[in-house]
Amino acid sequence: MSAILDIEHLTKRYARTTGVQDLSLSVPAGSVFGLLGPNGSGKTTTLGIALGVLHASSGAVRWFGAAPTAAARRRVGALLETPNFFPYLSARQNLQITADTKRASPATIDAALDTVELAGRQHEPVRGFSLGMKQRLALAAALLGQPEVLVLDEPTNGLDPQGIADVRRLIQRLASEGRTIILASHLLDEVQKVCTHAAVLHHGQLRAAGPVGHILAATDRVHLRLAPDADPQSLLRALAAVPFAHDVQPAPGGACSLTLAAGHTPADLNRALFAQGLALAHLSNEPRSLETQFLQLIQHS
Amino acid sequence: MLRTELHKLLPYRTAWVILLLFTGLLAATVAGAGGVNVNGQQLGQALYALPGLWTNLTYLASYFSLLPAFLLIMLITDEFQYRTFRQQVIDGASREQLVLDKLLVTALLVAWAVLSVLLVGAYFGLTRAAGASLPAVLAAAPRPLLLYAAQLLGYLSLAALLAVLIRKSTPAIVALLLYVWVAERLIRYFLPDTIDRFLPIKALDILTPSPFAQTLDTVLGPSGALLPGEAVPVALAWAALFWLLSAAVLRTRDL
Repeated sequence: MSAILDIEHLTKRYARTTGVQDLSLSVPAGSVFGLLGPNGSGKTTTLGIALGVLHASSGAVRWFGAAPTAAARRRVGALLETPNFFPYLSARQNLQITADTKRASPATIDAALDTVELAGRQHEPVRGFSLGMKQRLALAAALLGQPEVLVLDEPTNGLDPQGIADVRRLIQRLASEGRTIILASHLLDEVQKVCTHAAVLHHGQLRAAGPVGHILAATDRVHLRLAPDADPQSLLRALAAVPFAHDVQPAPGGACSLTLAAGHTPADLNRALFAQGLALAHLSNEPRSLETQFLQLIQHS
Repeated sequence: MLRTELHKLLPYRTAWVILLLFTGLLAATVAGAGGVNVNGQQLGQALYALPGLWTNLTYLASYFSLLPAFLLIMLITDEFQYRTFRQQVIDGASREQLVLDKLLVTALLVAWAVLSVLLVGAYFGLTRAAGASLPAVLAAAPRPLLLYAAQLLGYLSLAALLAVLIRKSTPAIVALLLYVWVAERLIRYFLPDTIDRFLPIKALDILTPSPFAQTLDTVLGPSGALLPGEAVPVALAWAALFWLLSAAVLRTRDL
């Protein structure tokens, strides 16, 4: 898959803090890419730089394989942090301004309003809207002009459970149409349900990145036990020689549990131990939720 | 660009209140000033007489230039407050585009002010100047109106720069008033006339000279200020500089 967005060695320093430090990641075309991290981890700063509203202290961003330009941003629909509208204008008037800026046909406004179910209130001033309605309007604005990429920063903020489910379905529908979606969220369940790829940020640094399945597999706990006649100490010696086996914890009866480095599977471990003359009587892995993985990643930093 | 700015401006009630206040105050002042007695004579005869009508009118209008300047400050600082500058960049506008958009709004405000002066002048010229015809009234208008337009452009450009720098309406308005009424006068105090006549407010003010300027020059001697024709390029240069600085500030700052 070619990359829609490439971020290389990105650093953003503020007066007293560092928002992002030496961050590199790549968002594959057609993926639903989750940007995970606790509040203040650098998600919004990263997206702000990618979308041209913040200046990087160093590093580079490339959209569609080229230096970022205003024209490139018009191919991206984005909701960054809070929805930003003129409060004295109606929903429709605000969308007209967005359409003008994106050089999108005003005819697409109706479809966008229908998608977020605000058609009935399109002529009301935005100042009277609830946060959830503003959030839906911001989604409509992001959808104007049929963007190839959607960047959604906490898109379910302020939405009720029905609204959250609607946004989730919308993301899945847009992804099925082949659009790339970058979703920044601290709602791990949400990311696990809709994302194909993810990156985990903490204190402005990248902790893990790749397909969601790989990130989860990286800390699946693998449980194994030797054949009854084998020497338990030989297992520990053999595991010490396996470079992708980490956090080995022995258990009685020639058993132990461990984690595997990213990109390695239990089958790789079985092969490595077999090559050292050890036969396993039991080998299983215990899948973890993204939440467990996420907490482990940020606790180890 | 124009369409986008009109989408923002036309439904904005505050803008209409300020613009109508400008036109209304100008008309009321011109009407009222005609009844003022100076040395036992009604000022009206001198105020409305051609060809001085337009110079007098633009001089009076210059006192209200701060109203469109306040409006422009509000329009720009609102964009920071509502974070709509930020959203427009996200949606694909360049930062230079944002500056050009506000320059366009400035041109609209100047056009409104000049049109107001033109209409007020045409009305009072036709109704109060003795024996004046519409062609005679309008024939004297272009030069004073162009000078007034250059002056207002300069004031609005300074207001725009302060709005972009400060980002909040009240402090930006206070900063504008402080510069116009206090800071530049202090600077002038320490500079020789040959230099201070190029300072922005002094150069802008000379574009709408006081009706009594000639009398004052006769009594007090030449002021050393630029002539209106000389002040035009200076005013335009300041306006250009203010906009270039606004663009530089917007380009280099985070939104």
